[in-house]
Amino acid sequence: MPAPDPAQNCGSPDHNIHRRRFLQGLSAGAISSMSFAGLFGSPAFAEIAKKKQKHCILLWLCGGPSQFETWDPKPNTTVGGPFKSIPTKIPGTHFSELLPKCASIADKLAVVRSMHTKAKEHTEGINLLQRGHAPRPPFTRPTMGSVLAQQLGQLDSKLPNFILLDPCPEGNEFKGFKAGNWAGWLGAEYSPVRVGGEFKIPDANRLDSITEDDHEAREALRKFFGKKYENDRKSSAASSWNATFERVNGLMSCAHLFDLERIPQADRDHYGPGAFGQHALLARTLVEEGAPFVMVANGMPWDTHVFNHEVYQMAVPDLDNIIFQLTKDLEDRGLLDDTLVIAMGEFGRTPWINQARGRDHFPDAWSLAMAGCGVQGGAVVGATDKYGAEVTEDPFNEENLFATIFTALGIDPHAEFKLDGFPTFHHVENKAAPIKQILS
Amino acid sequence: MKSPSLKKAKEIKLPSHVLDLTLGKDNQLYAACLDGGIYQVSTVTKLLGKPYEEIARHGNYASGINWSSSQNTLVSASYDGDLKWIDPVAKKESKTIKAHDFWSWQSRISPDGKLVATTTGQYLCGGYKYEPAPETEPSVKVFEVASQKLLHEFPHTPPVQSIAFSNNGKILAAGNLMGEVILWDLEQDGKEIARLKTPDFTGWGIIKGHYYTGGVFALHFAPDDQSLYLAGMGSTTDPAAGNGKQLWQKFTWKDGPKKEGAAADGEIGQGLMETLAFHPGGRFFAMAGRLFKGNWNAALFDHENGSKLHEQNVGFRISASTFTPDGKHLYLGGGVNQGRPSENKKWGRIVIYEIT
Repeated sequence: MPAPDPAQNCGSPDHNIHRRRFLQGLSAGAISSMSFAGLFGSPAFAEIAKKKQKHCILLWLCGGPSQFETWDPKPNTTVGGPFKSIPTKIPGTHFSELLPKCASIADKLAVVRSMHTKAKEHTEGINLLQRGHAPRPPFTRPTMGSVLAQQLGQLDSKLPNFILLDPCPEGNEFKGFKAGNWAGWLGAEYSPVRVGGEFKIPDANRLDSITEDDHEAREALRKFFGKKYENDRKSSAASSWNATFERVNGLMSCAHLFDLERIPQADRDHYGPGAFGQHALLARTLVEEGAPFVMVANGMPWDTHVFNHEVYQMAVPDLDNIIFQLTKDLEDRGLLDDTLVIAMGEFGRTPWINQARGRDHFPDAWSLAMAGCGVQGGAVVGATDKYGAEVTEDPFNEENLFATIFTALGIDPHAEFKLDGFPTFHHVENKAAPIKQILS
Repeated sequence: MKSPSLKKAKEIKLPSHVLDLTLGKDNQLYAACLDGGIYQVSTVTKLLGKPYEEIARHGNYASGINWSSSQNTLVSASYDGDLKWIDPVAKKESKTIKAHDFWSWQSRISPDGKLVATTTGQYLCGGYKYEPAPETEPSVKVFEVASQKLLHEFPHTPPVQSIAFSNNGKILAAGNLMGEVILWDLEQDGKEIARLKTPDFTGWGIIKGHYYTGGVFALHFAPDDQSLYLAGMGSTTDPAAGNGKQLWQKFTWKDGPKKEGAAADGEIGQGLMETLAFHPGGRFFAMAGRLFKGNWNAALFDHENGSKLHEQNVGFRISASTFTPDGKHLYLGGGVNQGRPSENKKWGRIVIYEIT
């Protein structure tokens, strides 16, 4: 397999140029910067967070994964299900027996067992946990990926700042969301580039019948007229089209980075043969190349109204291996300190078994896990009651979660979006506090 | 000839979902339940002075309960991988052996009561489209009831969810998630004699997620042992809903696998079918399970022509069934919603139907 052409390598010099907009914003507002530093346990870490290029990989467990078969098992109870719990590297902390590899690196993971949200249905929940706030029509809040693309991305990067890897073309409710407005008021340039399944970006090569010079000349002409039209008409639609063209141009120069066959087979074997693992591996390599935000989804396999235990006995071992490999590989490459890995869905699942021996949607008390980017490894935050039916300690909602994610990535969660003619919106509303227990 | 029908005679509540039923000595009914309990149950004719009584307990879901008339013992199976020998008179277990590292999905006893067979297998990702990985332990095991000795280990592709002995006890059949059924001749030291595959009982979740659902959940040999019935669910458009067709198919195998019959499209709804039982008279059989959409979740079908003779909406999911030897009653076991822990609800159900 030939090595990638260094001249086309999107990870080189451009990615060392820090032109993140949040830094521009911070330099303009001392008050904002002060409050941002106060969100960390250590002011020194706040400084580090601001200086380094950050990345985020979101393992989006769409459908709502069960906390009982993952991070908050309740063995030997009437609701616990057939899986046992196992000890982890953190004394006194147990995970489901389906997560033995994660148990072995529990000192690198932060687990929140006390998520308490209000959205009970998928579309509502996906919106809430992707955007961090309930809808406020007619305004469309950008998703986490779009905000991070804006805040962490390079303005002149060829590699997309928001990459969504999803091999499942359908996904029911998730399909509807995928067709929706991800970037909201930030505009189309912060929408995701969606790839998945074939590990190739189709039609990304310049036609042989067009020379490089000809291609560039045509692009210059298109760019001139496109920008002129956008400026003359003050057209947001034209702006979106121009942004899309820019991204397509970028993709043409880095399409090879999406080709999984360039990755050594041994590396691929570590992630398992399934589509989810292979896409997680691709996410890792894209982060190595400088991608700020990669979201890996896999349809909605976690929505187990029927066959809960039958599906989880096959789905969770896959997830266990993926989190383990990602954490280990990022650490081995010196990237874990600057890359936040999040594994979560839009809610959890009911303690009680339904008639179909499945578990239904449950936003009252659910769990998620993170690793890297200064997140406190070994932290297990919050608690639920004996049956996992209620949060008994440290409840957190979507705003606390987003404040945590932004803070870990060096973004002021309480900063305002700069929006002309809009009401005031913040990255996270209501001055919601981050989950300090998992921030270093 | 008059078509049979079902008339409800009694309904019994148990602590949790009933996964298996068997009739013991003098037609005493026993149930294996999701809470790990093995229960002796009062029926129409056998009254204990209470609805049920716990006689043994597993460390995980109790998935199977079988009666050996020749050995005068019950043999239960569980998701803990154990088989337990239970003395029905003393009402306590006499022996426990480890059969599997993973769950026992289903277990059955041979008609002469001398053998007990059990299936296992964790589904682990083995391919890009989540094809099952090869087994890590033999998926099918056969033990001698009298000695607890392991007599046969058979390979299959996990998870293997269903198993059946032929009526003459000579053939063993086991079916898996992928719709693959293997038949072994126990008189020829377990020689594989047939392998059939039907894609109709499985579905890859392209719509909602990348995993397989369904599988062959129940197997039953026809009374003459010339054909084998499979029950389960057809491919789903939404795996999370379990909305595949309610399905049975009949195969012969002697001249190569051949489908000889199937539930007619116009007579079925949607939902997973988990259990098959043959009426002692041999003229018809019962299939039951979960209702997603349609009119029934238990029905009687004509063995000769496959037509539906009677349908019943039981009102809850059925996982187990058995006819009484005199053919007068059909017992169905399953459960309703568990309910919140604070409700402390008895959510297992057994309903007894009189055959009229």
